[in-house]
Amino acid sequence: MNDTFHRDIVVIGGGIIGSSIAYYCSKSGLDITVLEKKELASGTSSKCDGNILAVDKDPGFDSQMALKSQQLVHELNNELEIPFEYRNPGSVLVCENDTEMEAAQKWVQQQQDAGLDFRMLDREDLRNESAYFADDLLGGLECRTDSIVNPYMLTYSMIHRAKQFGAKIHTNTEVKNLYKNQVNQFVIETNDGIFTANKVVNACGVWAPFIGEMLDIDISIKPRKGQIIVASRQQPVGLRNVMEFGYLISKFGGERQVDPLTDKYGVALVFEPTESQNFLIGSSRQFNGYDTKVDHEVMKYIAKRAVRFYPKIADMTVIRTYAGLRPWTADHLPIISHVEKVPGFYIAAGHEGDGISLAAITGKVIEEMINEKDTSIPIELLRYDRFHVNAKP
Amino acid sequence: MKEDEMIICRCEEVSYEELETAAAKYKCSARELKLRTRAGMGYCGGRSCRTMVDKIAAASANDQNRTCVSLKYQPPIRPISFENLGRGR
Repeated sequence: MNDTFHRDIVVIGGGIIGSSIAYYCSKSGLDITVLEKKELASGTSSKCDGNILAVDKDPGFDSQMALKSQQLVHELNNELEIPFEYRNPGSVLVCENDTEMEAAQKWVQQQQDAGLDFRMLDREDLRNESAYFADDLLGGLECRTDSIVNPYMLTYSMIHRAKQFGAKIHTNTEVKNLYKNQVNQFVIETNDGIFTANKVVNACGVWAPFIGEMLDIDISIKPRKGQIIVASRQQPVGLRNVMEFGYLISKFGGERQVDPLTDKYGVALVFEPTESQNFLIGSSRQFNGYDTKVDHEVMKYIAKRAVRFYPKIADMTVIRTYAGLRPWTADHLPIISHVEKVPGFYIAAGHEGDGISLAAITGKVIEEMINEKDTSIPIELLRYDRFHVNAKP
Repeated sequence: MKEDEMIICRCEEVSYEELETAAAKYKCSARELKLRTRAGMGYCGGRSCRTMVDKIAAASANDQNRTCVSLKYQPPIRPISFENLGRGR
């Protein structure tokens, strides 16, 4: 194939992050081309849940970034043409013992100090939240700004608008090689022709390291497998997203009081009502390479954990299960960064379980970086090379 | 009843017309057609409509869509209660 196309900016990856970048950049007038090796939202962005959360973010920078993203998604709900099942009911964390209640109290205080809309919940509040909760749950906390979307519909919707702004989308187009030529342009070889570009954004999530390797850039992202259950609509179990407080401990790698296998598989309750009236139950966290096969043994523990918090859903039906790969980084923050060593190369990846939550702010910040504007949030903490501070030069 | 109104996915109540309209508009794979319309995402796991969703997508896909992604099978084979799944039966 000798087809060569020259483009100003090429975004590699047609998941929710690449789509958000395409949307915000094309809206600002930039010439954007998206290359996606399979289909839009065919990787992690359709094998996840749809929570846009601040509730599980470290108080401070992390939760501020989530709050900014929530505000942007709220605006997107008015701006985008294709609806993406946006709901804005807030979310809840539940506690099963006194230690968690004390930790929750601290968490709420820290979040309130950082300016977020958090509040403690008592037993009575939980009873009002859902008739299905276990009686022994002590209480919990709520974050009132949290919202829910359908992640693949949001991806489709942002791409739809980006196309109206002139973005070009190439699906089934896999990048095979990437390098710079003598006139300092990127050359992007694909299975469907060669592209040249002035700037390239790597939005490949768990696959970002492979693109990095082509330019000799080490990107510290590892795939972390997560499994989810879809349960059929029967009776309404709850209207808001619910997680166990232990989810935070599982996310940040602390010690939990659970049986060894629940701990080993990183199983922690996540409940998400979907617009179709079904509900999703998660979650698990495992380092298991790029395998996305559903592991029955892990599903067993996810189901068990759900019944521990919602005993009365025991006879409700599981209709589907799936697994996705979350792009993990060592400090649980994404990489949103320019790579000075290869001018014009940007990375927007490594969001682990926060890709849906942080997609909007990620797209906005990349747009601001490319247009050399001040960024909506400080970006020093999101640099790609922060994991190698002690490495030899 | 007109032919267009015929229900293809009974679980999610998706009509032939809705599927045809979405397939013509997006010229997408069966997978994307499923996600956009919810056909095949209901209680029976696509047992009754899978082949029709596959066919409608394949018939509308143009030359650009050479890689046709048909619908997958995900566990469980049949709906199962949380209790039985948790017990590992």
